[in-house]
Amino acid sequence: MDPRRAETGKNSDQIQSGHVYHLALDIGGSLAKLVYFTKNDEHIVGSEKKKSPMKASGISNSSRNSPVLNGRLNFKKFETSKINDCLEFINSMKLHLGAISFQMIAMVMNAGCQQPESPGSQTITIKATGGGAYKYADLFKEKFRISLDKEDEMDCLVAGANFLLETIHQEAFTYMGNQKQFVWIDKNDLYPYLLVNIGSGVGMIKVEGDGKFERVSGTSIGGGTFWGLGKLLTKCKSFDELLDLSYRGNNRAVDMLVGDIYGGMDYSKIGLSSTTIASSFGRAISENKERDDYKPEDIARSLLRMISNNIGQISYLTALRFGLKRIFFGGFFIRRHPFTMDTLSVAVNFWSKGEAKAMFLQHEGFLGAVGAFMSSDKHGLKELLANQKVERPPSKLSFSLDQTQVPQQDGELNGDESIECSVYGA
Amino acid sequence: MATKGSNSIHRSSSRPLLDLSKAEIQGNVEEKYPTILLPNQSDDLSHLALDIGGSLIKLVYFSRHEDQSTNDKRMKILKDKLGILNGNRRSYPILGGRLHFVKFETNKINECLEFIYSKKLHCGGWESHHSDSTNDQNAVIKATGGGAFKFADLFKERLGISLDKEDEMDCLVAGANFLLKAIRHEAYTHMEGQKEFIQIDPNDLFPYLLVNIGSGVSMIKVDGNGKFERVSGTNVGGGTYWGLGRLLTNCSSFDELLELSQKGDNRTTDMLVGDIYGTDYPKIGLSASTIASSFGKATLENKELEEYRPEDISLSLLRMISYNIGQISYLNALRFGLKRIFFGGFFIRGHAYTMDAISFAVHFWSKGTAQAMFLRHEGFLGALGAFMSYEKHGLDDLMVHQFVERFPMGAPYTGGKIHGPPLRNLNEKASLENISWMEKFLQKGTEITAPVPMTPPGTTGLGGFEVPLSKGSTLRSDASALNVGVLHLIPTLEVFPLLVDPKMYEPNTVDLSDHSELEYWLTILSEHLPDLVDKAVASEGGTDDSKRRGDAFARAFSAHLARLMEEPAAYGKLGLANLLEMREECLREFQFVDAYRSIKQRENEASLAVLHDLLMELDSLDEETRLLTLIEGVLAANIFDWGSRACVDLYHKGTIIEIYRMSRNKMQRPWRVDDFDAFKERMLGSGDKKPLPHGRALLFVDNSGADIVLGMLPLARELLRRGTEVVLVGNSLPALNDVTAMELPDIVAEAAKHCDILRRAAESGGLLVDAMTNTLDGSKEKLPSVALMVVENGCGSPCIDFRQVSSELAAAAKDADLIILEGMGRSLHTNLYAQFKCDALKLAMVKNQRLAEKLVQGNIYDCVCKYEPAY
Repeated sequence: MDPRRAETGKNSDQIQSGHVYHLALDIGGSLAKLVYFTKNDEHIVGSEKKKSPMKASGISNSSRNSPVLNGRLNFKKFETSKINDCLEFINSMKLHLGAISFQMIAMVMNAGCQQPESPGSQTITIKATGGGAYKYADLFKEKFRISLDKEDEMDCLVAGANFLLETIHQEAFTYMGNQKQFVWIDKNDLYPYLLVNIGSGVGMIKVEGDGKFERVSGTSIGGGTFWGLGKLLTKCKSFDELLDLSYRGNNRAVDMLVGDIYGGMDYSKIGLSSTTIASSFGRAISENKERDDYKPEDIARSLLRMISNNIGQISYLTALRFGLKRIFFGGFFIRRHPFTMDTLSVAVNFWSKGEAKAMFLQHEGFLGAVGAFMSSDKHGLKELLANQKVERPPSKLSFSLDQTQVPQQDGELNGDESIECSVYGA
Repeated sequence: MATKGSNSIHRSSSRPLLDLSKAEIQGNVEEKYPTILLPNQSDDLSHLALDIGGSLIKLVYFSRHEDQSTNDKRMKILKDKLGILNGNRRSYPILGGRLHFVKFETNKINECLEFIYSKKLHCGGWESHHSDSTNDQNAVIKATGGGAFKFADLFKERLGISLDKEDEMDCLVAGANFLLKAIRHEAYTHMEGQKEFIQIDPNDLFPYLLVNIGSGVSMIKVDGNGKFERVSGTNVGGGTYWGLGRLLTNCSSFDELLELSQKGDNRTTDMLVGDIYGTDYPKIGLSASTIASSFGKATLENKELEEYRPEDISLSLLRMISYNIGQISYLNALRFGLKRIFFGGFFIRGHAYTMDAISFAVHFWSKGTAQAMFLRHEGFLGALGAFMSYEKHGLDDLMVHQFVERFPMGAPYTGGKIHGPPLRNLNEKASLENISWMEKFLQKGTEITAPVPMTPPGTTGLGGFEVPLSKGSTLRSDASALNVGVLHLIPTLEVFPLLVDPKMYEPNTVDLSDHSELEYWLTILSEHLPDLVDKAVASEGGTDDSKRRGDAFARAFSAHLARLMEEPAAYGKLGLANLLEMREECLREFQFVDAYRSIKQRENEASLAVLHDLLMELDSLDEETRLLTLIEGVLAANIFDWGSRACVDLYHKGTIIEIYRMSRNKMQRPWRVDDFDAFKERMLGSGDKKPLPHGRALLFVDNSGADIVLGMLPLARELLRRGTEVVLVGNSLPALNDVTAMELPDIVAEAAKHCDILRRAAESGGLLVDAMTNTLDGSKEKLPSVALMVVENGCGSPCIDFRQVSSELAAAAKDADLIILEGMGRSLHTNLYAQFKCDALKLAMVKNQRLAEKLVQGNIYDCVCKYEPAY
């Protein structure tokens, strides 16, 4: 609903207000993402503004008997290595208050807290995706008797992207030269598109419609490569630290540029400028320099450019091959890091000779979680949204990219956001 | 006449011998792979081009070897008879010679400069073609690569030559186009360690994608000569591998890093699909072992760099980069509709693992519809291209059939290694003068070829063949690097015009890519070696010098065999014919001009002594019996073959005539392959119908002695008698006891003394011009005879490859309507399945059990009489 509201979510110990109706998880190798719906709570939220448009049309067109509930779709991230925080968070939410479809959750949660009337032996099920849905299934079961209903990762990814692109007004944007520009996409002219999901590795998915997609390509040089090699080459302790370093680095120290080979002259015959990277790390072969003689910033920068450039190139070639007009990049590697987006954009621009543009999604980190959320259609979100104009609160989602050039505060994730919407009560 | 013939044996018409005087073994004694310096080559003129890269300098130079003029009268008559236009041999736009390929490390550029200086390569720019080569000034040498700029001053200063810089990519493409067009089986695929050579139709070559993997990667779409475009590339290339590899491991060289990768296990560093899903992810067709994220595993563990094995890191890097290059290359080929992708550049360097990784990627991403291909001369593309940029190189129109690749004695040791000659030693002549290079070679040889089977001369061979111990601790990163030979350019070679389909023609009947087949034949050659060395040494009078050369030859040839055992594809696509020719070339390299000279002479004399009686006997027979007896005679006489172990044993047991009689008596039809009746019908007809005789027959003769004298000559005589012109086709250079074109006129002249038919035909064919006055004893009333002629076949091998024959044979073939191929080498090892546009008769006795089983499902000493009417 509003910016102030979302701030509260930052503290994971703090109880999220509103009634939780639906929850879905995407537990990846490094991050666990949550998407959940909270009903607007008049007690906490100043309900004076945004209720009417949501309520108005919801019930009338629907064939369902359930009431339409107005509220928000919330997004939250945890580091997978701190999965207990995530469990605590789920626990701490007042999931039981007014919950219908998640009655059982609520009970269990309460049982974990203070309320004695929990059936205790009941196991409840929530949708989950990502590799961690398998890995942590036992943990969820043991601790909270939550059974994770595993949804296919790619199904979720695509469902999430389709949902966001079709329904959220300013979901897609381009990013070039520090300029972020939202792109309005006609949902009738969305398909087919290429969805490039940059996680540890990179999956490239040709999407032709709802549930109609194919993994057509990919590359093993992805976020895991950046972080893995970066970890080995620098003393960085976290992915974000590495990203921050890269921002301050200069790749000239380690990369061999076209100018290094042709003596500062452009090799214009083949359309390469002297600053084009001829060989990533091609300069690091000097005999009298050891690893410690290179600045970690420069190494991080060179790594980032190498990997972004490569992903951009393969994505463009793949889009070309299948005649796809748009390429959307998502996945944790991007994380709205401006330099990453910029490099990807430059690569796509370079290889397509300006004909194609890289596009990004506002909720890129949450595609899987949203998809998992969508996979249980009890909430009828899709149907409702098809009939309603969902407004995106500007709040944190439209954060200025310039701000992010300042390192994120002590590694805190910037994933706590929400979208106002309405769902059916079960 | 005999003396004239023996003189001419010494000369080699198109392939001058190396001058081995002052030859030296390169470098210090510790070196593992020495090369041999031959400082006194009499190269007429040399032309040089350079590719100076960041790590390697590649040289391509051409040494001209002028075809020595064959001014004998035989040639004149031949020209008239065969319609070879006067001066035809001279009118080729290009000169014969050799293309040499040499590599130096860029940081040892001084060695390169000295090499050029010592070979006087800097004096032979094309411009100064006919001027004295003493004029060093203003010589211009074509060069490419980044170093062409960097070292320009150095070349000017040290050698007084200016480097004329050629665009790198132009050179790369020109080099690749030249190789793919002119060199047979230049391209190969490499899957799971297996190389397969591919012949690409030069007319169906374009467009293709050339991927050059240097520090970075360039992808070039090539549409034709000089027509190309750099369509893509990637900055993740060889420099990335080496740069990241250096930062992550303590390797001090690129090769060391590559070598490490062979012992690596990437599962410790890469995140595999199985790591994420526990199993395969079949929904998207990924197996558990597919790499999901290169180096992704490093993100999951709290391990320091030092806790990872450098081997694993190197492998992970290599796969990451190779797969990526393969993927981007395939996508680009697809984008531009290019059917073939050739990979080259220093990253590949013949390294099996790299090639496998790239091939795997192309195969994976194309779902098996595309294949990665590599070039045998990949390292020399730029240098060759620079060479091609000389305006007058004359190589533009060269065809595949004009090149013969040879692997000189150093080849097995140098492999794909960088090498240059030991220039240091040039200045130390005084102290080294009393040590012959041969002794050094032997001394070195003991160290180098410890695992190579080496039979002491004079004993009967060793059984079996040892595989060199290259896989243990001494593993070489370039164990699979291919050898690059010297390209002999012989402009007079032509495709035999009577081949039905030259494109489909494959001379070899034995496929040496079958490992057991290769092993068998390498063992045969190895076993035969001691006897060959004996003969060779004896042919030179058994002097100390010849003994030393004999030893050296044995060692050098054994090294070739060992190299091939280690890497069957080392010398490119290898047929049995090439293997047998290599042995002959190796003998010639050690100055054994004709190892079987004395044996051949003795056997010729013995056979000629009984020829008269044989002819009398034949003349007493009726036509039909005579024809059968003649064919029997050819088959029986074909037993005399020093290339066959079984026959060598026979020689020890009896005289030539005894063996021949025994062989004749054993003749019993039906032979294993017996088309005699069909041949007889063509010759004699059936009933009253008498067929027209053939106009001209080409007789491809085999061995000296009884084979030619008692077998083929009587058959030739029969054809002449029937009015068929006969052309005897002999080897250009000696091979075993095969009769050479040079020896044939003398044999014919001697035989003509016993036979009027042969005499008149030989006179008519110009073979007896010198003797004519003696025999002109009023026999003018006789009609002029059809001619008996002799041509050389263009080879020095016991086999024949009809894609590359001499121009005089090609000319002689134009009017021929019958071909008779005789002997194992030419009608079984090769050409058993060859199809000709004219009638063809293939005659041989099988003197090898394995070959008998394989080719004719028979036994040793079975006979083949295969007749095929014109296709």
